[in-house]
Amino acid sequence: MKVVTGIPVLDDLIDEIPNGKTLTYWINPEVEGDVFAMQTIYTNVEEGLKCAYTTITISPESILAEFEEFGWNVKDFENFEIVDLYSEYVGYPSKYKYSANPLKIDEVCGLLKNVLEEFDVIYIPISSIIDVCGDESISCIESIFKLVKEKGKVLITSFVSWPYPEKIKKIVGDLSNAIVKIGGIHHRVILGYYYGLVKVDWKNVKSKSILFKLVRPGGVRAYIPKILVTGPYNAGKSTFVHAVSNVALSVDRLGTTVALDHGHLEYKGFSIDLFGTPGQERFDPILRMLGKDALGVILVVDSTKPETFPRAKQMLESVTHFGLPYVVAANKQDLSNALSPEEIRKKMYLPEDVPIIPISASKGEGIFKVIDALLDILVGSWKEGENEFEIST
Amino acid sequence: MSLRSQLEDILKDLKSTGDIEASAIVSRDGLLIAADISANVNAEAFAAMSATMLGAAETAMTELGKGIPDRVVVESSNGKIVATGAGEKALLVVMTSPKANLGLILLQIGKASRRVEELLG
Ligand SMILES: Nc1nc2c(ncn2[C@@H]2O[C@H](COP(=O)(O)OP(=O)(O)OP(=O)(O)O)[C@@H](O)[C@H]2O)c(=O)[nH]1
Ligand SMILES: [Mg+2]
Repeated sequence: MKVVTGIPVLDDLIDEIPNGKTLTYWINPEVEGDVFAMQTIYTNVEEGLKCAYTTITISPESILAEFEEFGWNVKDFENFEIVDLYSEYVGYPSKYKYSANPLKIDEVCGLLKNVLEEFDVIYIPISSIIDVCGDESISCIESIFKLVKEKGKVLITSFVSWPYPEKIKKIVGDLSNAIVKIGGIHHRVILGYYYGLVKVDWKNVKSKSILFKLVRPGGVRAYIPKILVTGPYNAGKSTFVHAVSNVALSVDRLGTTVALDHGHLEYKGFSIDLFGTPGQERFDPILRMLGKDALGVILVVDSTKPETFPRAKQMLESVTHFGLPYVVAANKQDLSNALSPEEIRKKMYLPEDVPIIPISASKGEGIFKVIDALLDILVGSWKEGENEFEIST
Repeated sequence: MSLRSQLEDILKDLKSTGDIEASAIVSRDGLLIAADISANVNAEAFAAMSATMLGAAETAMTELGKGIPDRVVVESSNGKIVATGAGEKALLVVMTSPKANLGLILLQIGKASRRVEELLG
């Protein structure tokens, strides 16, 4: 049987989840990550595989309603079953064929093992089980992982990474054959979400992160983040976009941008679209248009022209009024009269925590530090977590 | 006769075709060179956005491997805008009334743009 994740891009990367393997969705608590397992289960239900979805802290009815909300009518499929650990937990008799009282861990373990025998793909919310049944449940979970391998089934789990003991995290991390991490992109508020493959032991895969939106109905939809590159006339925006991009084009006339620059960049597992704006004021209507839906801003300034800094700030204000994160690229550092980043910070009255990166766009110096700085603000938590697991390459 | 008044003459001739409400000669980077536009239109913005429109359309078309387009035509129920290149440095843009006969106007715009090109190179 061929089991897939049903998640955009992931299936392209790993082809399938081979029989006997466990894939874990490793979810940052701030993110609504249940949908990933639901999407995986539904995709395989549709393919005719026998799938079971375990719920323990949410009522089966709510789970089914949520499936429904995403447009996944699992109820109508005979090859789908709920494993109900919820009803007896809250003191009601269960209406479902597969149920157990989660306060009796042996009962739960026995049930899950039976389910594993009967089904092709099963989903277990590991962290919720630990929440309800305590640390002791980990040995049951371990035995289930082993059984999956023995029986050649596929296990999908989710692990919401609250600060559980390191030991537990390690056991789950080690036993999972593949781990997909799901987190948020921050800047004061959550701007978006990403998921990324951080471990897979059956295939050589480069780590990759994908930004996504949740659509109802529809589920997880990947999208490419848009970064706006703006700044005063002649600061070097077009030069910068061309220097960092794999492919780029500019609508320039007589040496100035009249419409936009566009560049596409594959960097550290991210697909990034850069949109460069014109710099001259008469094109400001375009500036606002291009700024829509941007996830971050790179402000390019000519370090030799402090007289343009007020214009730079005014442009920044007009594109970041929703609190978009930004970094400043202090360009033309190859010129002897270039101001240093700290001088620029002072002259522009920029907060201490705003990265100002010295670059020379025409020489290609420092340009990727700018992208790094912005990614760092956007997905800093992602990078911290990078060391949590070995990424097989 | 000054260059400016020669350019303005071209726009005046164009207007005599009828159905033309406004016209302008604009540098490719969006600056107004000469205009026949009523005072209540923001001529500078009109000029800049004409350069944006034509520039973006040219890039879109060449990216598809279809060469440089002859013109950009924007139609609305309130009128049409036609922008066309007039040599390497300039472009000609015209705003028409809604009922304008496009065929005739395009012909006149073509002639006018060649005259602009001769003057501006
Ligand atoms: N010395 C030096 N010149 C640079 C550098 N980057 C860009 N330039 C030059 O600065 C000029 C303007 O560069 P562009 O990239 O067109 O600037 P822009 O910000 O896109 O300009 P507009 O679109 O007109 O606002 C060009 O002549 C570039 O060659 C740099 O790092 N050092
Ligand atoms: Mg430019």
